[in-house]
Amino acid sequence: MNQLIWRLHRGQAYFATGALIVFVAILLVTGVVMADDYHRFLATCAETQSCSDGQGQLFSGDGAIFDVVNLTIVVPLLFGLFWGAPLVAKEIEDGTHNLAWTQGITRKRWLGVNVAWCLGAAFVWGAVISLFVLWWRGPENALGSRFDAFDQQGIAPIAYALFAVALGIAVGSFFKRVLPAIATTLGAFVLVRASIGLFLRPHYRTPLVRDAALSGPNSSPPAGSWLISQGLVGPHGQFLGHSFSPNDVPVVCRAGASLDKEGLVGCLTSHGFTSAFTFQPANRFWEFQVIESGLFLVLTAGLIALAYWRVLGRDA
Amino acid sequence: MTVDAGSPAIRTRGLGKRFARLWALQECSLDVPRGRVTALVGPNGAGKTTLLRMLVGLAAPSAGEAWVLGRKPAQSPEFLASIGYLAQDVPLYRRLTADDHLRLGAHLNRTWDDTGARDRLHRLGIPLDRSVAKLSGGQRAQVGLGLVLAKRPQILLLDEPVAALDPLARREFLATLTEAVADGDLSVVLSSHLLHDLERVCDHVVLLAAGRAQLCEEIDAVLRSHRMLVGPKRPLAGLEPSITVIKSTATSTQLRLIARVEGPVLDPTWEMSEVGLEDVILAYMGQDAPPMSGLHVVEGVAS
Repeated sequence: MNQLIWRLHRGQAYFATGALIVFVAILLVTGVVMADDYHRFLATCAETQSCSDGQGQLFSGDGAIFDVVNLTIVVPLLFGLFWGAPLVAKEIEDGTHNLAWTQGITRKRWLGVNVAWCLGAAFVWGAVISLFVLWWRGPENALGSRFDAFDQQGIAPIAYALFAVALGIAVGSFFKRVLPAIATTLGAFVLVRASIGLFLRPHYRTPLVRDAALSGPNSSPPAGSWLISQGLVGPHGQFLGHSFSPNDVPVVCRAGASLDKEGLVGCLTSHGFTSAFTFQPANRFWEFQVIESGLFLVLTAGLIALAYWRVLGRDA
Repeated sequence: MTVDAGSPAIRTRGLGKRFARLWALQECSLDVPRGRVTALVGPNGAGKTTLLRMLVGLAAPSAGEAWVLGRKPAQSPEFLASIGYLAQDVPLYRRLTADDHLRLGAHLNRTWDDTGARDRLHRLGIPLDRSVAKLSGGQRAQVGLGLVLAKRPQILLLDEPVAALDPLARREFLATLTEAVADGDLSVVLSSHLLHDLERVCDHVVLLAAGRAQLCEEIDAVLRSHRMLVGPKRPLAGLEPSITVIKSTATSTQLRLIARVEGPVLDPTWEMSEVGLEDVILAYMGQDAPPMSGLHVVEGVAS
């Protein structure tokens, strides 16, 4: 059985290994350079009092490589599309399930070994990429926020990879052709990831709220945190949000045509207006990663169960 | 009319398969004895493939039951080891070579006659080291057959194995099959919409038409019991009880029947002649009478 999988997928395996090696090599080279720049910057920024502006000064010419790293957000999806979805659908499309499922091994075992390999590969590739990205982003994480690349680094991308593969396998087991299986996997993956990321993730724990000045050094959210919302707070502590009505603003400040943005902020500040941040603090990063990974692992298990149910019960 | 000599190769009772609302096969009750080469014939869409797929456990029946060598088709190693199934169009992994396939078979099956399979393919001059996508249709069919034979199954179910082959490849395929059958105690079911292909190698026939089993008999018995009767025109209702009409064609004065004749025909106005298997089969396929259930369902092993 293992031999079957190897013979059928060795081409893919070589390609995936090659791509992984190239990616890791790029990260290693650029990562070492960036770490070096970062440490040099830390050593000298105290003299020029520019330590808080690290993001502005460093890595500004490295857009392309940042794009590559940010694009690793799609890597789990690729596993789902090219490893997961064809697993059953390709056999049905080519009719080779007739051959595979009438040999001396049971369909259950056939599926078990295939699923194990697929999940195993997704785990290894996913882990190597996301952990390398975590290391590579070390300086960036220190200067900015780890939450900025929540989807690309740490352990969550490994769970995404497992989920994507399980989703592909489960979806593929309902189709007779590879292409619609791939298309459906794509849609379902994006939908699930986006809805969890947008609607659930901000609420894994109750966000913290902090008051801040409207401008000046105390006007930015705590370092490394994930800013969820920011809004205007009136002089009596009433929260106005960021889309407040003009009537909430004192008439003097509303005489607005004459005021530019800075003037408006100054006017509001002098009338006792402040701002408030809703945010998840930096130290919740790993907790959130664990929660999100757990969520996707549960989905993975459910999808694998669905695939078993479907393949074992399927009229092939 | 005995059934038991061990369990029959295939037994079905009221077997049916429905896809959405359409019955692909309905009320199919058959007994195919062991050790025979059975032709499963019928027009396209008669349910041949559906029947075979249910027999090998790739599809679950919607109604009725089936037994293959006394076992219900199941996803169990014992059942899977006992059957050899070659699906329509001989599905193989296109990028793999014949050699790859043989090695896979050796890994996926407990019993595997590797040398036998390699010898056979070698004798036929089929390159083992070329991806099967580059082989001819006939060669691919031989590789497919080699794979199912190497499993050393007790029953072989082949779905339209020669339909796509040219006459020479067809003959070679059937020769390989005949040789394998002669070697051991193997039951074979071959489906085809062209009986002609199979007549030489088969000794038993199952006819499916209109989603039902119309006939399940030894070919010799079919030939013995069916006759063409030609005589003056008369109403079909008043025929002697020994004549069961399968198909009738009438001209203005003459009536021509293909009929099952059991017992003496006393009416001297009938001119009786023997009829070939293909004509009998075609008569059944084109018949307007209801299926001949019950009567020919259970067929004896002894002849």
